Amino acid sequence: MDGELDPSAEQAFTGHLQSCAECSAALLEQHELKKAVRLAAKRFSAPPELYASVRRQISPRESARPWLRWSPIAASMVLLAVMSFAWLSRSSAPGATVAQLIDEHVIMLASANPVDVISSDRHTVKPWFQGKLPFTFNPPELAADSPFKLLGGKLVYAQHSPGAELVYQVRQHKISVFIFQARDVRGEPSAGNQTFVVNGWQQGGLQYYIVTDAAREDADRLRTLLEDANRS
Amino acid sequence: MAATVVARGNVSGLKNKDFEKLAVPLLDGLYNFARWLSGDADEARDLVQETFVKSLKGFSSFREGTNFRAWMYRILRNTFLTSRTGLERRNTQQEEEEGLAEISISQETPEVALIRRANTELVQAAIAQLAPAFQEVVLLADLEEMKYQEIAEALDIPIGTVMSRLARARKQVREHIVLTLGGRRTVGAK
Repeated sequence: MDGELDPSAEQAFTGHLQSCAECSAALLEQHELKKAVRLAAKRFSAPPELYASVRRQISPRESARPWLRWSPIAASMVLLAVMSFAWLSRSSAPGATVAQLIDEHVIMLASANPVDVISSDRHTVKPWFQGKLPFTFNPPELAADSPFKLLGGKLVYAQHSPGAELVYQVRQHKISVFIFQARDVRGEPSAGNQTFVVNGWQQGGLQYYIVTDAAREDADRLRTLLEDANRS
Repeated sequence: MAATVVARGNVSGLKNKDFEKLAVPLLDGLYNFARWLSGDADEARDLVQETFVKSLKGFSSFREGTNFRAWMYRILRNTFLTSRTGLERRNTQQEEEEGLAEISISQETPEVALIRRANTELVQAAIAQLAPAFQEVVLLADLEEMKYQEIAEALDIPIGTVMSRLARARKQVREHIVLTLGGRRTVGAK
């Protein structure tokens, strides 16, 4: 049952099972029990912020720390370098983030399972994110004749921070809406690239990005719906 | 089934990036295990973080061919055992183990239908009522699908102890389910 028998013992045991109803019934019971335990024991999922915090702890930049202890001059040089890097990173971060989100959108388009929660009901999708994200948001209520259809959502990470990706469909195109805490992920997007439209804005402490290959007008209309739904 | 991760190649060449690649996929399982062990979300989070810090520090001395997953679970469990909750649990565990009778694997006809009727909450309650020494073995065997040898490495106990604890743990889970659902049979009878 646990796959611990060597091939000859397993063969002998299988042969025995065919002639012993008691053992085969006992084995069936153990299989059922193992299955039930496996399902029940997967009870807790690591919160997204734990992933982010562990990644921060183990990221390679930690190895820069011993330098700080070597000498004040070395420490000053490292500090200066870090400050320069931080300044440069800040100025290039929005572009890098948008490129990452375009990649996420492309991965979603190519995936056989593009979303983790499959539902067109915003009342199903929103609660799914509860406990997985340190913030909340309102997917817009879509009218019956709306060209947009909610397909579902999934968790994503950008700059080591967790966020939501909502996937919508408009006609034959898919739209990704990414939502992060503005303190973690921010920045005005560029105009996107030649293939994708990117639309970004901040509202209520959250940073929203829309990435799609649909028309820019569609992205603007969905943005309006999201802004209205999240107006306090 | 989670794949068994065994670090290979030139160990001195293993770097933080390799560690991240090996360790991060284990995070969810480690957290689940820590939650079961400690029974507390904050403590489980601290345990996982401490485990990652300790294992990263020790990664340079990680030996080729060693089972990485078992090593990580071992660090987590040792960290837990030295925590306040862990020390309390360890004392309880020793008392409970002393009072245990010799292992007896029931030969009676199974209550398969009752086990199939058991809902998740009931099975979770059955796991929760196990003594810590049994709980950790059943979690590693049935949820993490570790081999007996891997469990022995993770818990630092002989493989024979793994097998006997696992048999007892499963028997107790089964009894809890059957008794709760009102099975007529006498469970655990020899």
